[in-house]
Amino acid sequence: MTKALAVVGIGQSRQAKRREVTIGAMVREAVRGALEDAELTFADIDTVVLSKTPDLFDGVMNPELYLADAMGSVGLPVTRVFTGGSVGGHAAIYGAHLVAAGLARRVLVVAYSKESEGNFTWALSRPLPFSAQLGAGAGGHFAPVIREYIRRSGAPEHIGWKVAVNHRLNATRNPYAHIQRPDITVDEVRNSPMLWDPIRFLESCPSSDGSCAVVITSEEHVPRTDRRPAWIHGMSWRTETGHFAGRDEVNPQAGRDCARDVYRQAGIADPAGELDVVELYIPYSWYEPMWLENIGLAEEHRGWRLVEDDRTAFGGHLPVNPSGGVLSGNPTGATGLLRFAEAALQVRGMAGEHQVQEARRAVGHAMGGASQFHALWVVGSEKPAVAA
Amino acid sequence: MTEGASLSAPYTLEFPFERTVGPKIGTFFAGLKERRLFGARAERGVVCPPLEFDPDTGAETGELVELAPAGTVATWTWARSRAGDPVARDFAWALVAIDGTAGSFFHAVDVGGDPSRMQVGMRVRVRWRGDRVGDLRDIECFEVAP
Repeated sequence: MTKALAVVGIGQSRQAKRREVTIGAMVREAVRGALEDAELTFADIDTVVLSKTPDLFDGVMNPELYLADAMGSVGLPVTRVFTGGSVGGHAAIYGAHLVAAGLARRVLVVAYSKESEGNFTWALSRPLPFSAQLGAGAGGHFAPVIREYIRRSGAPEHIGWKVAVNHRLNATRNPYAHIQRPDITVDEVRNSPMLWDPIRFLESCPSSDGSCAVVITSEEHVPRTDRRPAWIHGMSWRTETGHFAGRDEVNPQAGRDCARDVYRQAGIADPAGELDVVELYIPYSWYEPMWLENIGLAEEHRGWRLVEDDRTAFGGHLPVNPSGGVLSGNPTGATGLLRFAEAALQVRGMAGEHQVQEARRAVGHAMGGASQFHALWVVGSEKPAVAA
Repeated sequence: MTEGASLSAPYTLEFPFERTVGPKIGTFFAGLKERRLFGARAERGVVCPPLEFDPDTGAETGELVELAPAGTVATWTWARSRAGDPVARDFAWALVAIDGTAGSFFHAVDVGGDPSRMQVGMRVRVRWRGDRVGDLRDIECFEVAP
């Protein structure tokens, strides 16, 4: 890339069970917010990118066609990006690639899920002829991986409970977050039902409806508004096969390689020291220490100590998910883009009550499937000296 | 394994989805239950059935407008009736331009099983179903207007 790229508009819907609106109207809430933030109209947009998890989750096939009008893409090319929960991160990067390649001046990236219209566990575990009907769900898949992390690291079991409390308290400062539990305590998490040992109910993400949209452009097309852009300092994705002999699901190579590539682009030598805030895809509490280690923000087996020492809580040295994160709202198709967008809001100084002071560089992170899809970007308040 | 045998198994997929239609389309469906037909204002004119977003501009469509449940056949094709079709004898599938709207509405037209009675430009009106529930089948079909 030779031109610096920037996020100049961000919109999101409230995350909740949204029975009162259609999918299109819910998507439009985020699209309208992003365009108003950027002070642009549909006529300024060259290309639209839609992020969406599998069609079975809420039952619309080819949603990029169904939502063309709601996304304002009359006469514009529309591309759908499709992975698992990481998809919003992949879509943001793909949108930035279109600008970097000179194929568009301004790209509108849109993401949503409306999970109240479908049955998530059924979609993940539908029976197939000649196959075992495991019905394990997402938590059933991740629980053994978490148990292995605890074995390797020797982390005490209260770490997971503490992460769950931190993220829910963060959500009380985010009016868009689905879960609002201002009185949550470690005892309450510890006493909540065990779903998939060692994951308890309050250590798990909800199933949410919600949408997010961002406008990405290059330096010469940044609109003149009162709100500064978030500059993209580095972005990358990596994928590995979901299941193969020898794969390390606790600390996937794809995640490590993805982060290393982004820090190289951003000129970051000491990620934990040079980053001010991170928004990570943490669907179960234990993934906070696991991803901190995976993306180079903590030494291997020691990520849990950052939780223990309150360094990742709001007000700590490296706040994780000040928005409340995935544990406080999970419209899967939008969840990854929300992490990327929240990182951008932080470095723009626009995160409202959950603004981290002096946030100059932030990570937005997304993962999906059996944690085989990884996407990450670093955004900053300053234009990068050398474009990523 | 038996020589030449091939395993097969039945596989039935069920899709347990629950749709939200929202206030605009919801009012249209609720209107059908009351024998009332609504369209929505858009750039090209009133569109029926209504849409939430204008296909010409992407803008939200405007207010709902009540329409007379009658129109003109724009084009049609003849169909042999099968079990489950809206008309129990042979009928036409037609694009009906509802009075006061832009575009057309796809539905069945019953002309008593006689294709010679079908013509472009003929006047038709809605035949309402007796037991209406608030979905598009509340319109049983269109029939020749007197």
